[in-house]
Amino acid sequence: MRKKLLAVLCMCAIVVVGHSQTTVSGKITDAATGLPLAGVTVKGKGTAVASVSDADGKYSIKLAASVKTLIFSFVGYTDFEAAVRAGNLDVSLTNAVSNLTEVIVTGFGGSQIKRELTGNIARVRGKDIEYLPTPSVDAALQGKAAGVFVNSQSGKLGQAVTVRVRGNSSISANSQPLYVLDGIPMTANSQSSYGGATNPLTDLNPNDIESIEVLKDASAGAIFGSRAANGVVLITTKRGKAGKTSVTFNYQTGSSEASKRIKMLNSQEYATLILEGAKYRDDLDGTPLNDPSSWTTYVKNDVMDYYSYGGWSKDPTKTYDWQDQVFQKGPYRQADLQIKGGSERTKFFSSFQQLDQTGTMIGNKISRTTGRLNIDQKANDWLDLGVSLSLSRTFNQRLPDDNAFSNPLQAIALMPMTPFTDPNTGLPAGTPPGDVNIPIYYNPVITVNYASYAQDVYRTFGNAYLKANLMKGLNFQTEFGVDYLSQNEEGYFQSQTVRNQSRASSGLGSNRGAFVTNYNTQSYFSYNTVIKQKHNISATLGMQYQQSQAKYNYIEGTSFPSNSYQKIASAATKSDGSTSQSDFRFLSYFVRANYTYNEKYILALSSRIDQSSRFGKNSRSGFFPAASAGWILTNERFLENSKAVSFLKLRASYGVVGNAEIGNFPQLGLFSGDAGYAGAAGQRPSQLRNDNLKWETTKQFDIGLDFGFLKNRITGEIDYYNKQTDGLLLNVNIPATTGFTSMVRNVGKLENKGFELVLNTQNLVGAFKWSTTFNIARNIGKVKDIQGQIIEGGVSSMNRVQEGYGVGVFFTPEFAGVDPANGNALFYLNTKKADGSLDRATTSNYNLAQRIVAGDPNPKYIFGFTNTFSYKGFDASIFFNGVSGNQNNIYGMGRYSSASMLYEDNNTADQLGRWQKPGDVTNIPQVRLYRVNGSQASSRYIVDGSYIRLRSASIGYTFGSKQLSKFKIERMRIYVSGQNLLTITKYPYWDPEVNADSFDSNIAKGNDFYTPPQPRTFLVGVNVSF
Amino acid sequence: MKILIHNMSNYYKAFLLMSIITLAGCEKKLDISPYQSIADDKALLNESDVQVTLVGCYDGIQSAAAYGGDILVLNDLIGNTADINFTGTFAGLSDAYQTQMTADNSFARDTWIAAYNTINRCNNVLSAVDKVTSSTAKKNSVEGQALFLRASMFFELVKLYAKAVGDGDYSANPGVPLILTPTGNVTDADYPARATVKAVYDKVIADLVKAESLLPTTNGNYATKWAAAAQLSRVYLMLKDYAAARDAADRVIASSGKTLNPDFTKLWFTFINNGGATPAEYLFSMKVTSQDGTNSQNTYFGRTIGTIPGTAGRSDCKIKAAHIAQYENGDVRKGFFVLNGGNYYTQKHLDRFGDVAVIRLAEMYLTRAEANLRLGTIVGATPLADLNRIRNRAGLPSLLLATLADITKERALELAFEGQKLIEAKRLQTPVGTLAWNDPKLILPIPRREVDVNKNLVQNQGY
Repeated sequence: MRKKLLAVLCMCAIVVVGHSQTTVSGKITDAATGLPLAGVTVKGKGTAVASVSDADGKYSIKLAASVKTLIFSFVGYTDFEAAVRAGNLDVSLTNAVSNLTEVIVTGFGGSQIKRELTGNIARVRGKDIEYLPTPSVDAALQGKAAGVFVNSQSGKLGQAVTVRVRGNSSISANSQPLYVLDGIPMTANSQSSYGGATNPLTDLNPNDIESIEVLKDASAGAIFGSRAANGVVLITTKRGKAGKTSVTFNYQTGSSEASKRIKMLNSQEYATLILEGAKYRDDLDGTPLNDPSSWTTYVKNDVMDYYSYGGWSKDPTKTYDWQDQVFQKGPYRQADLQIKGGSERTKFFSSFQQLDQTGTMIGNKISRTTGRLNIDQKANDWLDLGVSLSLSRTFNQRLPDDNAFSNPLQAIALMPMTPFTDPNTGLPAGTPPGDVNIPIYYNPVITVNYASYAQDVYRTFGNAYLKANLMKGLNFQTEFGVDYLSQNEEGYFQSQTVRNQSRASSGLGSNRGAFVTNYNTQSYFSYNTVIKQKHNISATLGMQYQQSQAKYNYIEGTSFPSNSYQKIASAATKSDGSTSQSDFRFLSYFVRANYTYNEKYILALSSRIDQSSRFGKNSRSGFFPAASAGWILTNERFLENSKAVSFLKLRASYGVVGNAEIGNFPQLGLFSGDAGYAGAAGQRPSQLRNDNLKWETTKQFDIGLDFGFLKNRITGEIDYYNKQTDGLLLNVNIPATTGFTSMVRNVGKLENKGFELVLNTQNLVGAFKWSTTFNIARNIGKVKDIQGQIIEGGVSSMNRVQEGYGVGVFFTPEFAGVDPANGNALFYLNTKKADGSLDRATTSNYNLAQRIVAGDPNPKYIFGFTNTFSYKGFDASIFFNGVSGNQNNIYGMGRYSSASMLYEDNNTADQLGRWQKPGDVTNIPQVRLYRVNGSQASSRYIVDGSYIRLRSASIGYTFGSKQLSKFKIERMRIYVSGQNLLTITKYPYWDPEVNADSFDSNIAKGNDFYTPPQPRTFLVGVNVSF
Repeated sequence: MKILIHNMSNYYKAFLLMSIITLAGCEKKLDISPYQSIADDKALLNESDVQVTLVGCYDGIQSAAAYGGDILVLNDLIGNTADINFTGTFAGLSDAYQTQMTADNSFARDTWIAAYNTINRCNNVLSAVDKVTSSTAKKNSVEGQALFLRASMFFELVKLYAKAVGDGDYSANPGVPLILTPTGNVTDADYPARATVKAVYDKVIADLVKAESLLPTTNGNYATKWAAAAQLSRVYLMLKDYAAARDAADRVIASSGKTLNPDFTKLWFTFINNGGATPAEYLFSMKVTSQDGTNSQNTYFGRTIGTIPGTAGRSDCKIKAAHIAQYENGDVRKGFFVLNGGNYYTQKHLDRFGDVAVIRLAEMYLTRAEANLRLGTIVGATPLADLNRIRNRAGLPSLLLATLADITKERALELAFEGQKLIEAKRLQTPVGTLAWNDPKLILPIPRREVDVNKNLVQNQGY
């Protein structure tokens, strides 16, 4: 049977060749530059006969007599159609006004022209994120891809970033997408052990990237099976092209600064408030204010005077804004060199980068050095091979986590009368030998001056491939890739920091190594054929094996001879040490088939079988199928000649994907040997067994419409999706009386539904060009069933997983303002009445107030809006992004700084509006020194986190080759650009794009805890090509 | 496939063969195990396994949230505005100090979790104690220690989370869940209701009595017969069974061979002063070293004093002058406070490492004295002799007559800031600040997470 089929196939090919009567040849050039274009596909319309132009732009194609039209297509250029005429036919192509001709990478060697894509894949061109002062590629995706929510969380450099594709589809398992770099699943989880999570994607130079594809729907993702439920981000690096070697050098420099300060009380205002609170207590006790044992006397002498080195009573107006001490202007410098070129047989791309950035917070610095070489070699007519290799070093001078007294931004809590400098020693307040108990809290400047915590990462991404053409249309490719991450963290706390690091009384040193080896091998057959010029069939069949090993070691020492000795070799006491290891493995098989009929009807099927060491033997294997279909209406008669509608495709997909990011060995019942006591070894039960544990399953339906109007000057996509996740891997709370607080179970369901709209328009196409891209997405996430489990996190456990709401909503009593009669903070009871409604009576007894859903950290809408302009040599772009409908939790700082003087922290200026006398109507309760009045967790601290941000803007001028030829420069562009220039928001603190690193988890989002804001950066740069 | 191979050169054949081999599975590679942990069914197979699990029980009870100090700190802080000015920022402690606790008080939560975690570890040991076969003495010791540690946690739980004995009917008042078997698979049985206060006390007494009979007289860093007897004396005191309390205390004094350290000040700073050696007077304590453990009494009561190297702490608990005024002049203990930055701090907890004292011998004398006095007996010694022994050690002259008030005052001063304040008030039914001894605000909430997850638990009044 097969033999016959093959014979038929061969016959067809012969028939096609035999009937061809016309030969067309010519040269293809770029309409703008006149330079030849290599690699242009030339095709007879309605046929599969195609040819490709060579390095000189020359092509030749033989066509059947029936073929009337030739189509010339090339990535980034508008398709060009010409009537067939024998002989010479030279054409010139113009830059594409639409992206319908883009080639989309689909994984495992697959690619598809956007026009024929049936799954939902967002593509971001490397060009669009080039030379942004954003050190990691995920942060650069912000606002660029519809339905991809990015929150940079903190202004600390190299810090972890939250990315959610089409909502959060998990509760306990990791919800970050899978990152695949040139075929290797990357190590993307933080390896940091200090100062919150870091972002291992920072080790990749974003300027090496040719394109980023975000696989959003199940049809696109199913080929990644159990790891695709959070979306898959395929990163493809640049490769060489045949032709002249081009050398591009880019240099940019500038500086960053925090974009906002919070208005705090000055010394006089602070004194007014705290004395008012003291008076309240004295009146209550019946103590005269001037009594030596009164609160008032205590506050004057032992608080305000003591913590100002006696300065307050001398000059009560002298104010120190501690934000001045910890914010700084940080210089930024980045140099990039890219060299690419090659011959028909050998092509290469190489790049080098040096980046140095100083943070907007004192003590924070990052520098990155990267080098890359990608080589592709044609060994002979049937064998291709190649290597990609990237080496990088990222050095990060870290800051403590947000919830540490040594976090520089916590200096804002210090009293405004406390001077920056101890007048007795001339050193920063609180530095020994001065009084270490001033200021009221530890002065974080001391840690910056007398401690260091550095993270040094060496990273290698390497990938080698062999590709053999076994017969016409059938290829076999095998790849081997390694992602090796070697990280050293070294900390040293000098004795001056002892108030903060109690163990640093004679120095505290630590050194931690992390070695994460992640190797991946994959092999696949791919087959491509065209039958009877109408049936286009392609198929892929293959396997993938991934093995990840993480090894860690740690040593800590105390008792150093002096602060000059900072290596643990000099520590008299080796106070701590450990080594550990954790592995995981995946073995997978996959198959994919695409069928296109007559460029009108498209069908795609794919599936994957995944097995993993993370699951028990009973449920080790998962099957993930998907199907999708498309109909290109504009290739039908009734629309073929429409002037208005140039492109219209309807597509739909359905499939099953999984999420296996639950950590390693969650299924086993375990004892751990870490329970020693007083020098004796011990063990303890550490995890409860669950034999039935398996991955989470997400079933996703997507329906979409791709359109192009007015010769594709307006293009876009509309999608509706419905993602249903069940068997959620929940870290389920169980009664602590069992000896455990949680266990992992497959319970629960959630859904994410939404729509996405992408609109690209060419507003002006003449000499003055103006184009706009706009994307907006609405996601409605809803937890449907958690079987009554209580899952909480975040600041004061206020984030909660609540059925009927998005993951991690803020669940807390509802603040009802202040009782005008007595200044008491009030809360709504919100108890359920017999009729089911809520009792809206108020109470000052916090414990009687029921918790309600008071906010949601997940935005309702996310959007991005880019305008690019060019005129002659000038170019400009302006990019806004935003989120709306989400809330943030400011209880982290609010409980101290808006707490009616429960603590001696400085207060935000709005606290001046407090209740003072009966009849006052305000939302700020009466000041009561060291007494709780409204500072409990409540909706008082849940605030709107929506924002619109001018994320980046740039303006540049490109000198033409004529102007520069005498300098042997082909092209030169100079530019200025800015990041985060403007933020429109109602958010009261520094930055609404925030999440405190000390609390960050899947469900703990939107928390602000003295979290540093995003930097505002100005740059000037020059880009030169030789 | 066969057909393709026919038409191919040998190169292709070799290549294709290689490809198929590459594609073939390697499922065995998925069988990997964790490195820092072992499967639970391989963890308790022999004597040595049971012994290291017993060490794990001490590791559990040493948790900062348990006898690492929080249980003691909570007892000292709740409502104690008379002795302490608490200025710390931990909301859970601040609320406890001001008796404004809410059901999600993090200290109430963490102590509950740590105590039951330790109880489960003990239950694992007790379930496998038959594996200890090398000698009966060893088996008895292992069983006795596990029973002692488990009973100690139930005793602390019932004191913190339930109504005191004497407050209503203790055979009806809810105590805490009694968990006596190790947790395997979680079933409905793992969602227990609260046993009555009486049931918890009965079990605590039964376990401690058994522990005392099984435990050895000396046991290195671990629990001895005397630790069990001393704990038992506390239990009986709570139940107002003065005869039993007296006898238990007397057994310790008479037979433990331990004596009071003549210098009160040498009982503290155990790491700085004694190089980490446990003072002989301690009957049971938690070892804290630079390698292991946290002394949370130090965390909250301690302070970095420039003139005493090695001191540390958050300076949260400033001792009020009113407290210091209660000591007589000449009392060594009156001088055992350090004035720093305008505030007094107790010197009992300045040391980061060393021991967290759970029970000291001095308390046994005071217990025996009080019980003898109440009963009109003179078992072991007269109440006056026992009282004067403590006074004399503190550098004070002997009294000529001992009243109950003398003894309870001495007890309050001797054990000040050692975690007995609240429970003494409940035992003696004396007010705590402005609150009556049995005010519900002086009882910790059953942790919100626990009530939320286990519907069989009844919350305490007022939460």
